[in-house]
Amino acid sequence: MSAISPEDRAAMRESFARLLASDHTEARMRATTASPAGFDRSLWGKVGEMGLLAVLVAEENGGLGAGMREMGELFEEAGKALYTAPLLESAVIATSLLALSADAEARARLLSAMAAGETIAIPALTGDSGTWDAAGVAVEAAGDLLSGHAAYVNHAASADVLLVAAREGAGVALYEVAPATDGVTLTPQPANDPSLRLSRINFEGAAARRIEGADAAVIRAALDRGRVAQAGEQAGGSRHVLDMTVAYMLGRYQFGRPIGSYQALKHMAADLLVEVESALSAARHAAAAMDDGSADAVQLVSLAGFACADAYVEVTAQAIQMHGGIAYTTEYPLHLYWRRARSLAQMLGSSGAFCEQYLGEWEKAA
Amino acid sequence: MTGAATQATATNDVEREVRAWLAANWDADKRCEKGTDKLDAKGWLTRVRDAGYAVPTWSPEWFGRDFSSAEARLVDKAFREVRAPGTGQDRSNLGAVTVYKQGSDELKAAHLPGMLLGMRGCLLYSEPSAGSDLAGVRTRAERNGDEFVVNGQKIWTSSAREADYGMLLARTDWDVPKHSGLTFFILPMRQPGVEIRPLNQITGESEFNEVFLTDARVPAANIVGREHGGWQVLQTALAYERLIMGEGASQRGGTKVSRVPEVIAVARKTGRIGDPAMRQRIAQQLAWRQLNELNMRRAKEEIRAQGSSSLMSLGKLAMSRIQHGEARLRSEMLGAEGLLDDAAHPEARDANFDSAKAYMNSIGGGTDQIQRNIISERILGLPREQEADRTIPFRDVKSG
Repeated sequence: MSAISPEDRAAMRESFARLLASDHTEARMRATTASPAGFDRSLWGKVGEMGLLAVLVAEENGGLGAGMREMGELFEEAGKALYTAPLLESAVIATSLLALSADAEARARLLSAMAAGETIAIPALTGDSGTWDAAGVAVEAAGDLLSGHAAYVNHAASADVLLVAAREGAGVALYEVAPATDGVTLTPQPANDPSLRLSRINFEGAAARRIEGADAAVIRAALDRGRVAQAGEQAGGSRHVLDMTVAYMLGRYQFGRPIGSYQALKHMAADLLVEVESALSAARHAAAAMDDGSADAVQLVSLAGFACADAYVEVTAQAIQMHGGIAYTTEYPLHLYWRRARSLAQMLGSSGAFCEQYLGEWEKAA
Repeated sequence: MTGAATQATATNDVEREVRAWLAANWDADKRCEKGTDKLDAKGWLTRVRDAGYAVPTWSPEWFGRDFSSAEARLVDKAFREVRAPGTGQDRSNLGAVTVYKQGSDELKAAHLPGMLLGMRGCLLYSEPSAGSDLAGVRTRAERNGDEFVVNGQKIWTSSAREADYGMLLARTDWDVPKHSGLTFFILPMRQPGVEIRPLNQITGESEFNEVFLTDARVPAANIVGREHGGWQVLQTALAYERLIMGEGASQRGGTKVSRVPEVIAVARKTGRIGDPAMRQRIAQQLAWRQLNELNMRRAKEEIRAQGSSSLMSLGKLAMSRIQHGEARLRSEMLGAEGLLDDAAHPEARDANFDSAKAYMNSIGGGTDQIQRNIISERILGLPREQEADRTIPFRDVKSG
C-alpha cells in the first residue's frame, strides 16, 4: 500500500514535468549531455528537493515510502524529456538494494542523503556480459577487500558510493566502496548513446564495507524494480516520439498536401499507436503488480521487460523513417531518442531473455 | 446523510425490490414461471416487460423505470443469480434500442411491445458494392402511396432466416450526395419479396446470408427517424452494435483466463516447446494477447473515470495480429500434420479453421485498413481521406 494518494502522485508528476520543461530544454539537454558528468548537478539538486529521489525510500529513512506506481509515472515524464542523470541507478536500483537489504545501519546512513540528492550511489553489479547473472560476477571478496572488475557501470564517475556485487564463497554479496579508495580504478567505456557514462572498474584489494543481507535475490529484486522504472521511461519516450512524428506529419507538405494525409504514413502511425499504448499498459500494470505483490508480478515484469523495450526501439526507428531526411541529421533530436531506446533495450537484459522468462512463467501457470 | 449514502440506500432498494419480484414470479429450480412446469417464453417476457425490467433504463412511458445504469446492473445481477431471462434488453436488443432512441411515438407504439417479446431482427446494411463504403448502398426504396417498394441485394446478414424484421438501409433519393439520400426502415422479413440464400464461408460455416429484395413492401410508417435521414439513424445503430459486441467480447474474454493457451498446448504436443527460436515466437504471441487485455483493462478504468477511452478502438486492430499470428504459428508447429483435416487430428483441424476464421476480425466490421484510417484520423488527428463522391449527386457516382 502506497503512502501517497493518487492526487499527490498526479501533482508530483506534474511538478516534475514542469521542472523538466523549464530546466531541461533541448538546448540544456544537449549541453549537459556533452559535459563530462553527462548531467546537470543543479537540476539533480532540484529533483531531490522535489522529493523525487525519495519515492522508494521508507519514511523512517526520510523518504516518501511510495512505490513503483509513483516511480513508473515519473519515469514516463523522464522518458518524454529524455532526462537521464543517475535516476535509474541511484534513485531506483541502489535505493532498492539498500532498502531490501537487512542492513539498518547502511540504510540510516545512506538513504536520507541519497533521497535528498546529496549522495549519488551507483550499483556495479555486472561482469563482462553487462547483464546480471550471479555466475558472471567478476569481483571476489576476501574479508573486506575486493579484487576483480565490474563492467558497463553507468555514471560510475559521478558516484559518491559504489554498491559492488562480489563473490563470497559460493554466493554473492553486496559491498559498499568509496570510489576514491586506493585500489579502485575507473576506465571509461565510450558509448553510442551520448547520455550514457559507462565505465569499467578495476578493484585491486580495495577496502569495502559489507552490506548485510543483500544476496543475489535482493540484487535481482532491485534490478526488477529498475526494469519496471525503465519500462515507464520507454513508454513515455514512445508516446512523445509518436506525438512529435504526428506533429511533423501535419506540418510537412509534399506534393501540395501534408505528408500526414498519405495513407502509407497514416497506417504506420496507427500501428505505432498500438505499440505506444501497449507499452504504457505493460509498464503500469507491471508497476502495480509489483507494488501489490500480485501472483502475476514476475510475469508482468518480464512482459514489460521486452514489450516496452521493443516498442521504444520500433517507434523511434519507424519515426526516423516517417520523418525522412531531417531525422537523419544530428541537429534534429529524434536520433537521441532512438539511441536511448536502443541502449535501454540492452541495459538491464535483452528482450530475448525477458521473452524466455515470460514464457517460463506461462508454463508454470498452465 | 451524504449523497453517496443516499445512493447506496436507493440501490439497495432496487436490489430488494427485484429479488422480491423474482421470488414471487420465477421458479429458479424449474426455470419457469412460478406455478407452471414449463417455460412459456412469450408469457414470461411479457411479465418482465410489464414489470419494467426488460428495459429498466428507459422511461416509464415505454416499458422502463428510469433506472440509472448502476441500478440496471443490479437488476441484471438479480436475474442472473436465478438464471431468469428477459432483462437488459436496453443494452442487448439492437432493434428495440434503435426504435426507442430514433423512432417516432407511432413507431414505438407499433413495434416496441412485440420487439421486447423475443421478436428476432437482422441487419440489412452491407451490399456487394457497399462494404467498407456503407453510404454507397444501391438498394432502392420507392414510395407508392403509404408504403415503399424495395429492390436490391443485401449481404453478410446473419440470422436472416430466423428474423421477423430487418433493419434496412435503402436509397430513397438519388439526386443528392450519398449520405443525404438514405432512409432507415423496419422491414417485415416474412413476405414474398424477400429471398434468402446462405453464403458458404472459407471456414466451412454458413452463418451469413445474401438477402435478395424484389418488390418487397414496407409501410411508410416503418421509417425510423426522418425520410432521407437514414445515415444519422445508422450511426446510432452502429454505435450500439459496437457496444454490444464489445460487451460480448469482454464477457468471452473473462471465461478463459486459466485455460492453457492453445499455442502452448500445441507446442507441448509437437515437442516444439523446447525449440529456443520457437519459444521466442510463442512468447511474442502470448504477449500480444496479454497486452491487448491490459489495454482493455486500462480502457475500462478510463471509461469509469472520464466516460470514454480512445483505447477501445485499438482492440480490433490488435486482435488481427493476435488471431492471424497464433493460427499461423500453430500450423507451423504442427508441420505435415497440419495438412490433415479429420476428427483424429483436432489440433490440425482447429488451426486450419482458426487460420480462416481470423479474417472475420480483420475484414468484418471494417477492415484493418479502414480501422487504421479511423485510428489515425479520429485519435491521432491526421487528415481525412479524400472522398471523390462525397459532394456529388449519388446518381453520378461511379461504382464497380
